[in-house]
Amino acid sequence: MTPGARRNLGSVIVIGVVAAAGAALYVRGPGPMSFSGGPKVALADYKGANPTGVPAKMANASLIERGEYLARAADCMVCHTAPGGKEYAGGFAFKLPFGTLYSTNITPDKETGIGNYTDQQFLDAVRSGKRHDGARLYPAMPYTSYTYMTDADTLAVKAYLFSLAPVRATPPENTLAFPFNQRWAMTFWSALFNPDTRFEPDTSQSPEWNRGAYLVEALAHCGECHTPRNLGFALDNRKKFAGALTAGWRAFNITSDKTTGLGGWSDDDVVSYLSIGHAKGHGTASGPMGEAVDHSFSKMAPTDIKAMVAFLRTVPAMSSPDLPAKLAPPAPPSHRDGMTANALGKTVFQGACVSCHGWTGESALSPMATLTGAWAVNDPGATNVAQIVISGTKRHTPQGALSMPAFGKSHSDTEIAAVANYVTARFGSKGSQITASDVADLRKQTEQ
Amino acid sequence: MANLNINGEQKTFDAPDDMPLLWVLRDILGMTGTKFGCGVALCGACTVHVDGKAVRSCLLPVSAVSGRAITTIEGVGATPVGAKVQKAWLDLEVIQCGYCQSGQIMSAAALLASTPTPDDSDIDAAMSGNICRCGTYVRVREAIKHAASERQT
Repeated sequence: MTPGARRNLGSVIVIGVVAAAGAALYVRGPGPMSFSGGPKVALADYKGANPTGVPAKMANASLIERGEYLARAADCMVCHTAPGGKEYAGGFAFKLPFGTLYSTNITPDKETGIGNYTDQQFLDAVRSGKRHDGARLYPAMPYTSYTYMTDADTLAVKAYLFSLAPVRATPPENTLAFPFNQRWAMTFWSALFNPDTRFEPDTSQSPEWNRGAYLVEALAHCGECHTPRNLGFALDNRKKFAGALTAGWRAFNITSDKTTGLGGWSDDDVVSYLSIGHAKGHGTASGPMGEAVDHSFSKMAPTDIKAMVAFLRTVPAMSSPDLPAKLAPPAPPSHRDGMTANALGKTVFQGACVSCHGWTGESALSPMATLTGAWAVNDPGATNVAQIVISGTKRHTPQGALSMPAFGKSHSDTEIAAVANYVTARFGSKGSQITASDVADLRKQTEQ
Repeated sequence: MANLNINGEQKTFDAPDDMPLLWVLRDILGMTGTKFGCGVALCGACTVHVDGKAVRSCLLPVSAVSGRAITTIEGVGATPVGAKVQKAWLDLEVIQCGYCQSGQIMSAAALLASTPTPDDSDIDAAMSGNICRCGTYVRVREAIKHAASERQT
């Protein structure tokens, strides 16, 4: 090779590397708090009230009590518990398009849990996605969110977990397809998509906003379901909180968009939805959001819920173009009026659904069973309507337990598709047209 | 102490707010005509009327019905429609084992009160949620039509 050719080759390689790095950075996009635009400072240099830790009223709580509060705020338990299994003992299945991942045992059992983790190993796992043996975690563990947690808060969670009874339990082996089973590749994923940096308050915002930002971004990891993912399956914060399909359920738009986000909800509505999983006229949380309310948000201090709402209010509006601009009013009281063309859907509805939900969609039994006004019935994709029919819901509310039976075993895919199309047409502004095979896909994503 | 208007009478009792109306009726007030079937509003055995509308009492918190008029199977015969339905049920011998029938009668009476001459689709819409293991559906349908025709004579 002549020196000239070598120089040319060198330039090509440099250009290639720069282009690849540029493309990678483009895919990565902005961070979850970049939108606020204000100057960020290290926590130690922040002059306002401390946005991290536990609420002020818990100032004298023990380390374990603080850890319990933070573990609830981070909602560790739901993912680290198999249905019907022991709490925190792992084995919950994440059904992904390329295989199944199982959550790990995070009880302090020395052989099958995290009983041998040092503080540093725990910090590395939770915030850097690095396992004690150096292997990388898959980002089903939301370490790209937890990475914003402080040392003190992360170690308080550890202290709480170590106060639990150890459970001997090994989760099933993951069944990921090639190339996703190549754990080492997560090193590159992490390098690109995990900022591996701690929370930095925005000095242009109020202390309440900063507390909300810490709770929403570092602990509650709302974006993991509500933010669409990019080419690398990481969160695309250009569309922060614009809504996404996750684990067989639709997490709706929670930006400040007036028509398809939370812009039209009052502060009290959002507070109520987070605290009890229901806001009058806006429907009821079920599926993963119902679990988040029952196990996490409902356990949090009212001041913290308010702070989260203050933060959510400032997330730039993004529209969900597939959702109707106007929600449907209550349906007519007679079965004869309104939607009639879908005979099978009506047969299923009048046999299995109407006794709770009514012909109007306004439940005579509980406001939590009211369909009118919920995004689920106004979603022309009918994802959550079909999914709740398949999976049912079980909620623990201040008014006691509330449940909807799962009809997945008693009804065929065809029947479930028909009733979902009937329900969205009768109670929503634009009916869905889902098929039996759509229902079969939804089943697969939530099977445990 | 809570207070409910049941079959035109004021009943006073002590129960937690979230207790289902069915439990209050059966376990506290001893009104066992209303049956417990599935407990999840899927079978219709527990149907009562609240302000004249058929409602499943197994999932209805008692606090949700204070100040409203409740009618149960024990009182439905005192309403003109209820009396016609009960007569039609006897005339056609609808009942087999009978467990679901108080619910069937309550749903049928609510239907006829709002729709005096129901056709098959009205009956399907109102009665599909009332399950009968003996399969008396054909006679239930016939009795509803019979009661409807009785109403007009």
